[in-house]
Amino acid sequence: MKILIIEDEKALQESIVKYLSHQGFICEAVSDFLQGKEKVTQFVYDCIVVDIGLPYGSGLDIVKELKYMESKAGIIIISAKNALEDKLQGLDLGADDYLVKPFYLSELTARINAIIRRRSFEGNKAITFHEIMLDAGARRVLVNGKTVDFTDKEYQLLEYFIANQRRLLTKGAIAEHVWGDEYLHASNFDFIYSHIKNLRKKLTDAGSEDYIKTEYRSGYRFTDR
Amino acid sequence: MKLLTKTTLYFLITLIPLLAIAGFYLFNQFSKEINYRSDKDLINNEIAWIRYLESEVNNGATFILKTPELAIFPTQSAVERYPTITNINGYWRHENTIPYRQLSQVVSISGIPYQITIRQSQEQKAALVTDVTRIMLFVFIGLFVATLIFNWAISKKLWMPFKRSLHKIRSVELQKMQNVHFEETNIREFNELNASLNYMKSRIYKDYVNMKEFTENAAHEMQTPVAVVLSKLELLLQDSNLKDGQVQAILQSTDALRQLSKLNESLLLLAKIENNQFETTTEISLVEVTQKYLILFDEFIKEKQLTIQTVFNDSFMVQLHPLLADSLIMNLLGNAIKYNFDGGKIEIIVSGNKYHISNTSVLDPIPPDKLFMRLNTSAGNEASNGLGLAIVKKIADVNNLAIEYHSEGGTHTFEITKA
Repeated sequence: MKILIIEDEKALQESIVKYLSHQGFICEAVSDFLQGKEKVTQFVYDCIVVDIGLPYGSGLDIVKELKYMESKAGIIIISAKNALEDKLQGLDLGADDYLVKPFYLSELTARINAIIRRRSFEGNKAITFHEIMLDAGARRVLVNGKTVDFTDKEYQLLEYFIANQRRLLTKGAIAEHVWGDEYLHASNFDFIYSHIKNLRKKLTDAGSEDYIKTEYRSGYRFTDR
Repeated sequence: MKLLTKTTLYFLITLIPLLAIAGFYLFNQFSKEINYRSDKDLINNEIAWIRYLESEVNNGATFILKTPELAIFPTQSAVERYPTITNINGYWRHENTIPYRQLSQVVSISGIPYQITIRQSQEQKAALVTDVTRIMLFVFIGLFVATLIFNWAISKKLWMPFKRSLHKIRSVELQKMQNVHFEETNIREFNELNASLNYMKSRIYKDYVNMKEFTENAAHEMQTPVAVVLSKLELLLQDSNLKDGQVQAILQSTDALRQLSKLNESLLLLAKIENNQFETTTEISLVEVTQKYLILFDEFIKEKQLTIQTVFNDSFMVQLHPLLADSLIMNLLGNAIKYNFDGGKIEIIVSGNKYHISNTSVLDPIPPDKLFMRLNTSAGNEASNGLGLAIVKKIADVNNLAIEYHSEGGTHTFEITKA
């Protein structure tokens, strides 16, 4: 999977590249509008992560260019601006998602995964992790070929875990991904624990190995190692 | 005292001596005229009497006549060339003194000196004093009443632009200052005042906008470095060689930075609400928003085993941007859950134009002076940035909703009413 990152803040760009590469993506990164435009017109990517505020131009114009080219690449806008108009404008132009800075790298990874799967017309909408298969089209989970019933939250959790496999995921990042801003009104992160417990139980009951590792006091890791 | 009342008062006070002088002058003029006529009469009389006397005396008679008004008798005094005319006071009926004009002269009638004294009553002069005084008094009263009426009418009309300006100043709000305009009038002083006010207004508004833009930009610019640090921390966390203490340090730094960024976001939201960036013409049902959030918060409610009691008698339609409606309910309901104790209660009653939400709470009642203040964090609550209620209040203020808070026996109540 090839990803292009257009972000002028070098340090952030590096972080994104490092994290995504580790998750198995092939990443390219540029720091301004002109380079970005050049790249998108010359190469094909599966997903493009673009900042709005760029030197020499707006990221939104790159989105326009991609749509004009009828590109099949998924587009995620990342911006420091949490303004509804910007969001709507970005999505109207044809971006698939809009992520407000600061964001979790794990969140970005999960969204890139979701977009790529949504956009792949060749029927390859499923992601697999050993005996577990997520059918994104039908929002179905198969373990060893058998369907297992998951609640919405459990499905989201599993999807998030697989997208960020082998990484340490903090409770804060998990809560924000699954519960959005509402989690800020919870007194603690206890609610995550019960969902993970259920998820783990359903997976192991269906014959899967227990991949969810609890990291002492910090979070969870979905790993086969 | 009103300015106009005061000027009128001064005017009337200066009018009193002026009227007195005028009265005195008037009286003097009339008095002179009367004297002149009297004197002419007296002299004509005297001439007639002298003529008469001369014919009588030539006939060899001695003439003596004495009445209060006329006295003619022979005298030893020296003959006078000219008559003396004086004012005297004589007694008239009922011992009222009345002024007289008196002519007296010693004339020689065929060689015999005769004293002639003629008096003429000047009763009309006494009447003149009262007349003049009365006229002056009438003039004064007339002027007084007229000024009062003018005063009233003028202060209503003439001072209207001034009062309009005053009203505008009183109701001015910093963020809505741009739309305030002190218009031109046809009175120069008011124009000067209004022009100065307009100038002051635009200066204040400009400063305010600059300040606000600076704050907003600062808040914006802050998000990118925060994003950089957070991404580095997240990567750092993936290092498998970290000791537990180091992991905890990273997590705590992450939490603190997240909080900083949320705080920033809330401040920006507040600024946007203030800037009226969420104007809308569509109505939204707060009950529907509440039902949505009851579902979204369902897990946290169950986690705390809270009892929720809802009575929805009305859909409570308000003209509110959907985003603000969400923010309003999320904050109120969120607080009711967050600061509740396990097994507590939340009550939401909506009827007519009142939205009532109350909850049991671990917190003490909020002091009224700190209620909707920004960054007023309740003790021992690290997860709160203290902007939730400030946002609630701001949303209510900008959208014609009134919000009230009261607390009784450990139950905190917020009530929204449509204004």
